[in-house]
Amino acid sequence: MAKVIELDNLQIRLGGRVILDRLAGTLSGKCIGLLGPNGSGKSTLINTLLGFYRPDAGSVRIFGKDVQGHLRELRAQIGYMPESDAFIADMTGVHFVRYMAEISGLPPGEAMERAHEAFFYVGLGEARYRKLGTYSLGMKQLAKLAQAIVHGPRLLLLDEPTNGLDPEARQRMLHLVQEIRDTGEVSVLISSHLLRDVEECCDEVIILKEGRIAALSNLEEERKANLKFLELDVTQGNGFMESVRALGCECASFGTGTLKIVLPDNIDLRQLYRLAAEHSVQIRRMNYRRDSLEDIFLKAMAAGAAPAATPPPPPPPRSAHGSL
Amino acid sequence: MAVYKRTYKAYRGPLTPAWSRFTVLSRYGFSTLFESRFFTAFVVLCMVPFLVCTVFIYFVHSATAQAILNLRFGNNIVNSGWFLGFLGVEAWLGFIVAAWAGPGMVSKDFANQSVQLYLSRPLSRAEYLLGKVSVLGSLLSGTTWIPALILFGLQAELEGHGWGWNNLWLAGAIVVAGLLWIALISLLSMALSVWVKWRIAATALMIGTFFLLPGFGAVVSAVMRTRWGNLLNFPYLITLVWAHLFRLSPRHIHVVGDHVPLWAAWAVLLAVCGFCIWILNRKLKAREAVRG
Repeated sequence: MAKVIELDNLQIRLGGRVILDRLAGTLSGKCIGLLGPNGSGKSTLINTLLGFYRPDAGSVRIFGKDVQGHLRELRAQIGYMPESDAFIADMTGVHFVRYMAEISGLPPGEAMERAHEAFFYVGLGEARYRKLGTYSLGMKQLAKLAQAIVHGPRLLLLDEPTNGLDPEARQRMLHLVQEIRDTGEVSVLISSHLLRDVEECCDEVIILKEGRIAALSNLEEERKANLKFLELDVTQGNGFMESVRALGCECASFGTGTLKIVLPDNIDLRQLYRLAAEHSVQIRRMNYRRDSLEDIFLKAMAAGAAPAATPPPPPPPRSAHGSL
Repeated sequence: MAVYKRTYKAYRGPLTPAWSRFTVLSRYGFSTLFESRFFTAFVVLCMVPFLVCTVFIYFVHSATAQAILNLRFGNNIVNSGWFLGFLGVEAWLGFIVAAWAGPGMVSKDFANQSVQLYLSRPLSRAEYLLGKVSVLGSLLSGTTWIPALILFGLQAELEGHGWGWNNLWLAGAIVVAGLLWIALISLLSMALSVWVKWRIAATALMIGTFFLLPGFGAVVSAVMRTRWGNLLNFPYLITLVWAHLFRLSPRHIHVVGDHVPLWAAWAVLLAVCGFCIWILNRKLKAREAVRG
């Protein structure tokens, strides 16, 4: 896979404080999720990718080119959707998007055509001649997406794209992002607080904590590598876990009656029921699960940031599920 | 719009030259300004003194027209003082144009946080500023030194006898005086807009700088019995510099106390321009870092 973003010991200091602390890693997913709690440095990283902040140490490359050295060239290939409201209130939607397209270098005729197409694409076709100041929050988010894609960028930076959207509008926004991603012509980086958004769209995730990389993981590989496991809610039963282990399963208890069991291929589910009956254990709930992004995120937060100047940690091993 | 086009597709068409991107801002700036009928009417009004002066020069050189109107103009009436007077009237009209147009162009971008959208595209901060200032520069040039130069050319043509050649310095003075005024009020307008980020406040500050600050300067001069309070009087300073450029004595310029030295006037005007550039450099950013 082609490298999209390369971080090489990137350090950013603002106001005397280290905001990004020697970030290192390579991101090559078609859709990259940028996660982290408030103040972890997500927006600073996006601003650095846009060249708004100059690194104090290290460098950042996009498509193999140093951002500071190829600023104009790279900005022409980037579409940016900011988190905050950013528009010109007394311009009509299509006029505004055309304006942005022309600044990106499209000739006036093409810019107008693309502005109309972008508006129809995001679903605001009928509202394109209304002034932006009259748009609802959801419409403003879509208008921001339209201006970000109008010039056909290779990299789309979306800062909290679903912020403030109702469930229907959120689904629509995520659907658009997935559709853009699936064209294969655009790499997308989404910064979000919402793990579900990232999980739905992204194939790679970078988790920041206190300005450092807490986890950098390829979700696609995680999904392939993670064994499906059984999660059982049971009443306490002496000897049940030992019997399950004796069958050849890996088993862990979480103390509240929840068991996680990895079943080898040769073990039939009915054998578990039989053991439960033998030990007078009631199975009250049983479902198959895989490690979710939430698990990865919580583990990253619990483990803390990777030590400085060391490469980011590999994806957590399977044995990290509880005490498995 | 065709349904088949309602899908995302990359753009692979032609691009405009990188150097010309700032002209997009100028074009949109002009179009936004001239959407206002009042503004358009005012810009037309700014042409009235030029038309009057054109007719005047014609009358000065037409014995027939003078005979019909029973008027008699003296010799050498169209001189450097006459041009300075014309430039002075046009400069104040230009000030109103700048106070009206300048703050609206920049403060809106800041109020709507759209600067980050401009600067996330292949457009530098200098180009952004150039795009905005070029609107003011063109409007003010069109009301100050360009009509003055046209009048100079008309006068040279009608006067003949090498008048134009002998007074070529006057053309230079017109251009330098006009550009100095344009630089001062354009930069001041932009810097105040970027600083306060609110159109009404920026316009009020600009008017205050040119009308209230001189009053404060006069009070300082009168109370402290000094002439240096006049350094706060920008209209006076610019008139002093213009008088020098037009080779006129500053005696007729009304001021409290004595005149300040010419070098001081130049120094203050250039310092104000430099300070405005410093403010623009500090404040015109896609993101403001919060200093902890």
